[in-house]
Amino acid sequence: MKRIVTLAAAAIVFAGASASAQTVKVGLFAEPSAMDPHYHNLGPNNAFSSNVYEALILQDENQKLMPGLAVSWKPINDTTWEFKLRQGVKFHDGSEFNADDVIFTYERAPNVPNSPSSFGTYLKGKSFKKIDDFTVHAITEKPYPLMPVDLSQIVIISNEVGKDVTTSQFNSGEAAIGTGQYKFVEWKPGDTILIERNDNYWGGKPAFEKVEVKPIKSNPSRVAALLAGDVDFIDNVPTADIERLKGDSNIVLSSGISNRVIYLHMDRFRDDSPYITGTNGKNPLNDLRVRKAISKAINREAIVARVMEGVAIPAGQLLPPGFFGTSDKVKPEPYDPEGAKKLLAEAGYPNGFGMTIHGPNDRYINDAKIAQAIGQMLTRVGIDMKVETMPKSVFFSSASSGGPDKTPKYSFILVGWGSGTGEASSALKSLIHTKDSAAGFGASNRGRYSNPEVDKLIEQALATVDDAKREMLLAQATEIAMNDLGIIPLHYQVNTWATRKAAGLKYLPRTDERTQIGSLVKE
Amino acid sequence: MNGEPTKTPEPNATPAPASAEPAQPARLAPATVVETPFQRFLSEYCESKIAVVAFFVFLAILFVAVFAPVISPQNPYDLGQIDIMDGRLAPGDTTFDGATTYWLGTDDQGRDMVSAIFYGLRISLAVGALSGVIALMLGAIVGLTAAYFGGKIEAAIMRLVDLQLSFPAILVALMLLAILGKGVDKIIIALVIVQWAYYARTVRASALVEREREYIAAAKALGLSSWRILLRHLLPNVLPPLIVVGTVQIASAIALEATLSFLGIGLPITEPSLGLLIANGFDYMLTGKYWISFFPGIALLVTIVSINLIGDQLRDVLNPRLRR
Repeated sequence: MKRIVTLAAAAIVFAGASASAQTVKVGLFAEPSAMDPHYHNLGPNNAFSSNVYEALILQDENQKLMPGLAVSWKPINDTTWEFKLRQGVKFHDGSEFNADDVIFTYERAPNVPNSPSSFGTYLKGKSFKKIDDFTVHAITEKPYPLMPVDLSQIVIISNEVGKDVTTSQFNSGEAAIGTGQYKFVEWKPGDTILIERNDNYWGGKPAFEKVEVKPIKSNPSRVAALLAGDVDFIDNVPTADIERLKGDSNIVLSSGISNRVIYLHMDRFRDDSPYITGTNGKNPLNDLRVRKAISKAINREAIVARVMEGVAIPAGQLLPPGFFGTSDKVKPEPYDPEGAKKLLAEAGYPNGFGMTIHGPNDRYINDAKIAQAIGQMLTRVGIDMKVETMPKSVFFSSASSGGPDKTPKYSFILVGWGSGTGEASSALKSLIHTKDSAAGFGASNRGRYSNPEVDKLIEQALATVDDAKREMLLAQATEIAMNDLGIIPLHYQVNTWATRKAAGLKYLPRTDERTQIGSLVKE
Repeated sequence: MNGEPTKTPEPNATPAPASAEPAQPARLAPATVVETPFQRFLSEYCESKIAVVAFFVFLAILFVAVFAPVISPQNPYDLGQIDIMDGRLAPGDTTFDGATTYWLGTDDQGRDMVSAIFYGLRISLAVGALSGVIALMLGAIVGLTAAYFGGKIEAAIMRLVDLQLSFPAILVALMLLAILGKGVDKIIIALVIVQWAYYARTVRASALVEREREYIAAAKALGLSSWRILLRHLLPNVLPPLIVVGTVQIASAIALEATLSFLGIGLPITEPSLGLLIANGFDYMLTGKYWISFFPGIALLVTIVSINLIGDQLRDVLNPRLRR
């Protein structure tokens, strides 16, 4: 008996040494664009950096804030937040974590050269002061309740890497030193990312010895890799395959609602909109009746049932009900094609007009199919629709600033917004507030919707520290903006992950849509 | 110096007698059975049964493509006529009111597959034929010019052809479409640019041989203009290989267009060609909804195979070396 145990132990040691028993293989839809955690503020990048790095404050699966590298935080007066840092945390290279690393990180993060989308958005207008080795103050001019949420988006790097550290030093692994659950080993772009367990992690032993991440962009290939056992875990399970995978006893699916709303943004700043025809140079989208007609013409239930195969939730506002700052009073617009035709006629377009919808074809779940479905539905109430979809790399730069003088290029676009902060203020601030680059408002307001009343409520809410009062103000702003149809919400995205039963894994679905190894658990 | 055209003296002012017009060199030796060239062509073509079948299949495809708007149950490009609620119906299913039967099922947007395939064939054939004809004309002119003038012009043109052919066609087409954008016209331009070099090379090779023949020397002696010699004397005699290459190239143009559409560039998504239909169905391959990819794939296969079979037989018939 003893001999068997010894043999078994030897086998385990041997297996461990050959790195096969404990290696988890992950098939990922989207590969990070860099290993530098402050290079590109993008979903796949942020999800991956959360494996290697940590922020002062972490978010759990439902985006509730949890202590990370900070053990506690509180406002000490109207304009100052105090963060108490965790003691005894070591970086992967063995160096000690303290306030200097925090200050160093917050200086570097907004200033990474050539960043396609900067983390400055979370750090603008804030200054940071080291009080002692484990106390940091964050100071703003006005009261700022979202400080903890903002700082949960910035992961801390070691100040040992030096001031002039470059993105390529992170990509090679030289500077990829964090405090997170896993250590960075190697990145072969387009092929694999390798990480291994950080045995000195402050929060207990991480679940897996080695993790091999493989980007598999093609939907059918990713599913096939899972079915064949080439990978143990995939994200972004295509809606078309969910039904089939449900019936497969080797596969465990886990899905959860996200904080992402898929919506239509309309040109509100041009009289003669470039992709609208047959209106004698008038912009019909400036007429509330036309916007209402478009919203009524869209059969959200049909999109959810037929395009999303039931895996989505019809939307009436910026975040699913239940999230902070949403309103109970706004509901998804019911499908009413007759009402839509009537409204169009009232607005002076009994024969409709011509319009093109633009959207990405590789960003959101079934994005190109949704755009076509919208095309069908609006054609049926008399708007002569064209549908154009393109890769996200082309779409987003054109949609934001592809027109003359860096204005948005299109008239009517399909886009999505995930509220990283988990409250309505994120979408209100970026999509609904009048564009004001200097103050950081309306950064993604590609329709240039502007309503002074809503602006006032948003600004007021952002400066209100009292949660109950802030929630009420946000709900009020949401109600006005939705009744005015500043955007037309379609549905909330539901994300699905799949694991192999044989591997004994289960994924805890995250509302922030991230695929991070910390949420992958052994059953 | 066998590449140098022989210099002929300048013609004198006296008009050449009409009878001195060079005879067509391809004139046939008198045969025992009196047969026009076309009759002989026809009987030789019909020696292969499979080529005859291919020809009739191709005629049927051509008919479908030309009359697609008349014979299709639905206009699959009219967003008002398709309904997402009818999406992904299996072959033989009907709409819930029982009014319409989808014999080959519907795609993810509720398009009738029969209509979509008919319209898709129309696009494929139009793109293939148009780009083929334009590339053929362009390539023929360029190739003839190279062969006839020789020297530096030839070297320059042929190195350009080599350069073009050294890049894979799909790569060149992808780059061009990335620059040009989407649309049928853009895809035709891209295919012409990809294909002209094949024609130019073929034409030059045959024209080099023809250039040394006596009738060309005679034409030159008569003082005919270069263009006249090129178009009236050289071109007709290099046509047979050109026709063969053209047929095969049209088939490959159709395949290339389908590949580009499959990759999601080329044509707008609301006007799916066969390649785009196959790509749409690819998402559903693992779920057993085979018909979205399968039937367009079969249509594409039959089209390309039938054109290739016709091309093969044409090559056998038109190749003088195989002439018995």
